[in-house]
Amino acid sequence: MTGQSSTFRSPDSSPAPSLVRASEYSFSELARIYNETRVDYIVPMPMNARRMEEYVRHYDVHLESSFVALNDHDEEMGIGMLGLRGRRSWITRLGIMPDQRGHHVGQFLVSKLIEAARAQAADQMQLEVIEGNDPGTRLFLKVGFEEVRRLLVIRRPPGEITGTLTFETEPLGADAVRECLASRAPGASWLDENASLLNMGRLGGLQVTLPSSKASWIVFYETPFQLSHLVLGSEDDLIALALLQAVHQAKPMLDTKLENLPLASPLWSIFQKVGYVESFRRIEMRLTL
Amino acid sequence: MSLIVIIEDNDQSSRLAARLLQRDGHEVLVADDGEMGLTTVLANPPDLILMDLGLPDLDGQTVVAMMRQQMALQHVPIIAFTAWPETTAREMVRAYGCDGVISKPIDTRRFAEQVGSFIRAATQE
Repeated sequence: MTGQSSTFRSPDSSPAPSLVRASEYSFSELARIYNETRVDYIVPMPMNARRMEEYVRHYDVHLESSFVALNDHDEEMGIGMLGLRGRRSWITRLGIMPDQRGHHVGQFLVSKLIEAARAQAADQMQLEVIEGNDPGTRLFLKVGFEEVRRLLVIRRPPGEITGTLTFETEPLGADAVRECLASRAPGASWLDENASLLNMGRLGGLQVTLPSSKASWIVFYETPFQLSHLVLGSEDDLIALALLQAVHQAKPMLDTKLENLPLASPLWSIFQKVGYVESFRRIEMRLTL
Repeated sequence: MSLIVIIEDNDQSSRLAARLLQRDGHEVLVADDGEMGLTTVLANPPDLILMDLGLPDLDGQTVVAMMRQQMALQHVPIIAFTAWPETTAREMVRAYGCDGVISKPIDTRRFAEQVGSFIRAATQE
């Protein structure tokens, strides 16, 4: 890490923090700083260097527009990152060191991220804050963000699935997966947008056809241990149930994690039927820049 | 004396837990990520696993799921060691096959007894 990119003044009497662009740190350093800010968080979600690098790549985090705040002893006070997709921007990985809270560092970082987004011609900003993170929620409301919706993070442990539905299943190739995603309804959160999924690679998919000839598809991201980022081509109860049964019959030994399913989604009850449980909730917020 | 494996990425938290358990007469091994945790428990099947749910490499739940697929670990009590809200944690850990939850920050006066009671319960089954 070298050089500081800018300085600005704190609204209270605390020494003014300085900001260093995240691009001047290694992924290992960014992961360490982020983990230290979240050590006492409701859901800490620590990362190692590899996960941080993947996160930056998958979610279009712009490290030149992301910052680490330092105090006048060059100690890290906090971190905030900015994702950019066209004219849209996304605040993520925002965290303040436990012993540096109460000095408006979070507000400084958010204001700097807003400036950075505007400098990149963004006119919309969005973020998710974990439900129950009241200081974070208050901060975002104070700078003008508005709640859009509640999102669920849900999990399903590995295990056989007992389903009574009959259907035919056919694996989808890479081109078919891309075609399915292109046809999907809008409304995904930043993590599950097609841009994220296509950045990830390693996408799998199944085409499922019921005896009634009703058919649809399911796309997912697969690692050796976990399935995630499930996208269903239909919200019809019966078809959605068949899609989930098909994927868990095909991958019974994999743990599954699904982030940011809208709480109001009709699919939530279908996920519950096949063994998903709620992990925690997020609040999605937006700001017009 | 029992062998306890603590899988926890927070040094401060794992050191404190290890010290309390060692003082109570247990042997303790510490792993600071999921992969190291899996390697440790497979090499040394313990009497109890204390499992942080937030790990830097693999999700804690994923690690628990992988452990439960190992024959040697199917009956080893796994206790979630977490700062998650208790109601959420209980439902989550039950779904994943954990045997209980110990909330962080730990109560240093009760911690060793809490762990001991999980070991005794598993022995009696």
